[in-house]
Amino acid sequence: MRQLRFLAVLLVLIAVVAAGVMPGQAPAQGAKPYEGTTIRAVVNAEYVKYSLSLVEKDLYDKLGIKLDVEVIPLDAFVPKTLLEFNSGSSPWDLIMFGPSNMPDYGRHFEPLEAWTQKLKLDFQLDDIADVYKKLMLRHNGKLVSMPYDGDVHMLFWNKVAYERPDNKKKFKDKYKYDLQPPKTWKQWDDASEFFHGWGWDGTDNKLFGAGASYKPSGSGYSYHWWRSRFFSYGGQYFDADMKPLINTAPALRALEEMVRTMPYYPPGVLLFESEEPKTMLVKGEIPLLYSWTSTGKRVGDARESVIVGKAGFGLVPGAEIDGKIIHRPAITPGRAMAVSKYSKKIEPTMKVLEFISLPDQSLKIVMDPKTIMDPWRVTHFRSEKFRKAFPGAPEYLDAIEKSFPLVVPDPVIPGADEYQRKLSFEITEALAKRKPAKEALDSAAREWDKITDRRGRDKQKAAWGEKMAEMKAIGIEYHPDWAAKAK
Amino acid sequence: MSTLVGTTPAVAVRRVNRHRIGRLVADVFTYLGLAVTLVFFLGPFAWILTTSLKGNNDFFAFPPVWIPSDPSLAHYVGLFTRASGLRYFLNSLTISSMSMVAALLVSLPTAYAIARWRFGGSVFGTFLLVLRMLPAIALIIPVYLMYKTLGLTNSYLGLVILYTVVYIPFAVWLLVGFLRDFPVEIEEAAMIDGCSRLGSLVRVVVPIIAPGMAVVALFSFIATWNEFLFAVVLTGIETKTMMVLVTTYTSGGTDMFYGEASASVVLGVLPAFAVAFMLQRYLVKGLALGGTKG
Amino acid sequence: MRVPAIALKRRQWEPFAFASPALVLIALVIVFPLIYSFYLSLRDFDLSVGSDSTFIGARNYGEALLRDERFIASVWNTVVLIAPSLVCELLAGLGIALLLNRVTHGRPIITALLAIPAMVSPVMAGMAWRMMFGVKYGAINNLGRQFGLLDVYFDWFSSPFMSVVSVVLVEVWQNTPFMMLVLLAGLQSIPQELYESARVDGASPRQSFWHITLPLLKFTMVVGVMIRMIDLTKLFGLIFVLTFGGPGGATETVAFNTYLVGFKDFRMSYAAALSYVIVGGVLILTLLFQFVQRWREARAA
Repeated sequence: MRQLRFLAVLLVLIAVVAAGVMPGQAPAQGAKPYEGTTIRAVVNAEYVKYSLSLVEKDLYDKLGIKLDVEVIPLDAFVPKTLLEFNSGSSPWDLIMFGPSNMPDYGRHFEPLEAWTQKLKLDFQLDDIADVYKKLMLRHNGKLVSMPYDGDVHMLFWNKVAYERPDNKKKFKDKYKYDLQPPKTWKQWDDASEFFHGWGWDGTDNKLFGAGASYKPSGSGYSYHWWRSRFFSYGGQYFDADMKPLINTAPALRALEEMVRTMPYYPPGVLLFESEEPKTMLVKGEIPLLYSWTSTGKRVGDARESVIVGKAGFGLVPGAEIDGKIIHRPAITPGRAMAVSKYSKKIEPTMKVLEFISLPDQSLKIVMDPKTIMDPWRVTHFRSEKFRKAFPGAPEYLDAIEKSFPLVVPDPVIPGADEYQRKLSFEITEALAKRKPAKEALDSAAREWDKITDRRGRDKQKAAWGEKMAEMKAIGIEYHPDWAAKAK
Repeated sequence: MSTLVGTTPAVAVRRVNRHRIGRLVADVFTYLGLAVTLVFFLGPFAWILTTSLKGNNDFFAFPPVWIPSDPSLAHYVGLFTRASGLRYFLNSLTISSMSMVAALLVSLPTAYAIARWRFGGSVFGTFLLVLRMLPAIALIIPVYLMYKTLGLTNSYLGLVILYTVVYIPFAVWLLVGFLRDFPVEIEEAAMIDGCSRLGSLVRVVVPIIAPGMAVVALFSFIATWNEFLFAVVLTGIETKTMMVLVTTYTSGGTDMFYGEASASVVLGVLPAFAVAFMLQRYLVKGLALGGTKG
Repeated sequence: MRVPAIALKRRQWEPFAFASPALVLIALVIVFPLIYSFYLSLRDFDLSVGSDSTFIGARNYGEALLRDERFIASVWNTVVLIAPSLVCELLAGLGIALLLNRVTHGRPIITALLAIPAMVSPVMAGMAWRMMFGVKYGAINNLGRQFGLLDVYFDWFSSPFMSVVSVVLVEVWQNTPFMMLVLLAGLQSIPQELYESARVDGASPRQSFWHITLPLLKFTMVVGVMIRMIDLTKLFGLIFVLTFGGPGGATETVAFNTYLVGFKDFRMSYAAALSYVIVGGVLILTLLFQFVQRWREARAA
C-alpha cells in the first residue's frame, strides 16, 4: 500500500510542477523585424503541418517569426473552426481552409488590400493560375486569401498494364476496341472489369481493376468521385428555384455505374480516404486512378513508388454526347490561407502569408511528395526544377493545366460543407449496398432541402443564382436528356 | 477420496489414477487456455510496442517482424518534437493529476457525511446509477455552450472542473466503503481529546485510510486520462490531451505515420499498465462502477 | 449518554457543510446543464444559422422518433453491435473465469495482466486494433498470410457486415476482462462444500457445473450483463477511431450520430433532444431488463 501512496503523491507533485512550468517562454530579443513573435496557425492534417515545417527555418531567419501549428483532424476541422469564428473570436492568426467553404468563412477574414498597401506586400497575383484565381482569393469581391494547395482531379494510369502486348490482345478480343487509357466512363468501367483479379503486370499476383476513394468523411470523398460522372452526364446541383437535381437521371446513372462496378475495386474502398488508393497505384496494384494531382508527386517519388517513369497522366474520363466527349474533372479546389480578422497579430501574420506564398517558398512546398500540396502558380508549372524532378514530370504538369478549362467546382454557397457531406454519406450507403441507389439519392435530396430551409431558402437561392450563372458561363448546365444518350 | 470407500485396492488404484490423469488433462487444458487468453489480450500491446520501435524496413516486411532488427526511439522523438507529443503528454498528466486531487478533496468530506451521518440516505447510490446511464454526449452539449460563454474552453480549469464533478459519485461511493470499515471508536477517542469533526477527519482518519484514498486517486487518474469526448470538444492546442492526439493519425495516417501513431498508443496506455498491478484487489468494484472510463 | 443541546445543533448542519462542495459542484456542472439541455431541446437552436432560437415544443422529439431515418438507423446499428458483444463477453468471460478459478499459483498476476485491456481507453484500443487490422501491414493480415489462412488482400472493413464484426471483436477484446473479473468474484463466493457434497453423491463435473455453478452465478451474470449493456449504449470513442461510423453509416451508433448532429451540423437543440431520447431509451431498456429478470425468477420459483 505504501507504493500506492507514493505514486499518488508523485503524481500530485508532477501536477504542481507541470502547471507551473507550462505557461510560456520569454521571447528573445534580436535584430529581426518581428523577432520573438509567434504566429498560431490551424491546419487540417499532419501533412499540412509538415509542409509548413519546410519553410519555417527561412521564415524565422528572414522575419524572426515562429510558427505554432495546430492540427485539427479533417472531420472536426470545419465544424470546430467555424464554431470558433461564429462566436466572434479565434485562437489562431493564420487560417488554412477549403475555398469551397468561402461563403461560410469569408466574413471572418481580414481583407488583404489595405495591408498590401500599408506593408508594401507583394502577393504576385498575376502569377496565380486563372482557375485558382477565380476560386481561391475573394469573398464578396474583396481579396482575403492566398492559395496554398491547388487541387484538381486528373487521370493516372500504369503504363505497364496498358503497354503489355499480351494485355492489349486480351482486351481487344474481349471488348472489340483497342486498349487505351480511358476517355469515357464506359471505357473506364470496361478497363476496371478487365484488369480485376489477375496479374496484369506479368506476375502471378491478384491485382485490382481500378482505384477510388469512397469514404464520406472530410468533405465527402465518394461525392468527389461521383461528381465527375454526374456532371459529364449533364447534371447540376440545383435548378434556379433551389430544387436539388441530385436525384435526377444523370445522378442515377452515375451512381448506378459506380455501384455496378464495385466488385472491381479493392475491398476496403468504402473506407478509403485520399492516400490509400494513391499508395496502391504507386505500388503497382491498381492500373487506373483518377484523384488529386498530388498523386503525381508520389508516383515520381522513387523512395516508395515502383512505377517511376512508367505512369501516364491525363484527363479524367468523360461522357460521349453527340460525338463529343464532355470531361468534367472535379476541382476541390485545394487549400487556401487567410488571416483571421480577430487576430491580435495581423501585421506579422500578413508578412507570414506573403512569405509562404512567395514563388520559391511555395515551390518548395508543392514539390515535396510528402506534403501532398499541389502547384498553383504559373511559375510552378513552368519551373525547370519541377519539370526535371522525376521522369514524366513535364507530362504531369501539362496534364494538370489541360484540365483547367473543364473543371467543375463544388456548390460554393453557405453550408457547402454540409451539403457535400450529406450527399456523400448517401452515395456511400448505396455503394455499401445498404440502400438502393434511387433511395439514397432521394434521401440526399430531402436532406439538401432541409439544409436549404434551415439556412433560409431565399438567401440560398440568391447565393446559388450567382454560382449557377458562373458555371453556365463556362458551359456547365443541366441537361436532362444527356443521361440517356451518353455513350 | 470418499468415493474410494468400500472398494477393493485394485479398483481404488485405478480410480485414483483416472482421477490423476483426468486432473492432469484438466490442468494442461487450463494452463494452455490461459496462455492463449494472455496472448490474445496482451498481444496487441506487444505488437504496438514493437511497431513503435521499428524502422521502415521492418514495418513493411513480410513475414511480419516481431523483434525489430534495429530498434530505435526515432518515432518517439518525432512524436515529441514535430507532433508536439511532449506538450500533450504533459497536458494529460496535468489535467488528470489536478482532477484526481480535486476529486479527492471534494469527495472525502462528502463520503464522510454519508458514512457517519447517513447523509442523503441512498440518494447517492441511485445518483451513481443514473449517472452511469447518462451518455457523455448528453452532458457535453449544454456544458460546451456554457463553457463558451464563460470562456472556459481550451483551459485546464474547465476540463478539470468537469472531470472532477463527473467523478465525484464514484469516488464518494468507494470512499464510503473504506470509511465504513473504519472503526468509529478511534475517532471518538480523538474527539474526546478535543478534536473537532473536521480535525479528526484530517488528522486521524485520513492517515489510516490513505491507501484507500490512493486507490480512488489512481482510478480517477486513469478515468480522466482515458476520457475522450469531453477532451475532443473542449481542448485546443494548449490543452489537447494524449487521447485527442491519437485522432490526428486516424485520417490516413496509419501507414504513413505508423511509427508516431504506435508511439502515441504506447504512451496512452502507460498509466493502465502502471496501475493495473496496484489496483488488483479493487478492480471489480472499480470497473463495475465505471471507475476507469470517464 | 445525553448529548447537550448545543452539540446537537452543530451536528445538524455538519453533514451539509461536509457535503456542500460536492453538492454545489454537482448542481452547477451536472444538474444545471441537464436542465438547460432539456430547455434547449424544446427550441430550435442551430449554431450554423445564428444564435437566436424560438420555442418549438416537442417538435424535435417528434422528428427524432418518427422522421429521422438516420437516427433510427443508428438505433438499429447500436442494437446490432450490443447483442453479439454481450453474448461473446459473457461466454468468453465465463470460460476464462472458470479456467482462472482452477489456478492457485500466480492468479493475482494473471488477473492483473488480463485486466489491462479494460483499463485502457477505448480510443487507444481502437487505434491499436486499427493498425493491427491494416490490410497490407497490419499484424493480423500478415500473420494470416504467413499461415496461409488469409488472402493477399483481406479487408476487415470491406463491407458493413465485416465492419460490425471488427467493432464487436475489439469491444469484446476490451471488455471481456471486466466480465471475467465479475464472474470470477462470483465463482469464488460459491462455497466449496457444495461441490464436495456433489462429488460424494457421484455428480460429474459437468453436472455440478450445470446445477451448482450456473444457478448460483446467475445473479452475478445478470448484474454483469446489465452493466455492460448500459455501457455499450454509450459506444462512441471506439467508433470514432476505428470506423468513424463507416462504411457509409453501418457502424454509426446513437451516441456517434448525436455527436455528428451536435458538433458537425451544429444543431445543438436537436442534438440535445436526441441525447434525451437516448437516455430515455436506456432507462426503458434497463427497466425492461429488470422486469424480465424478475418475471423469470418468479416463474422459476
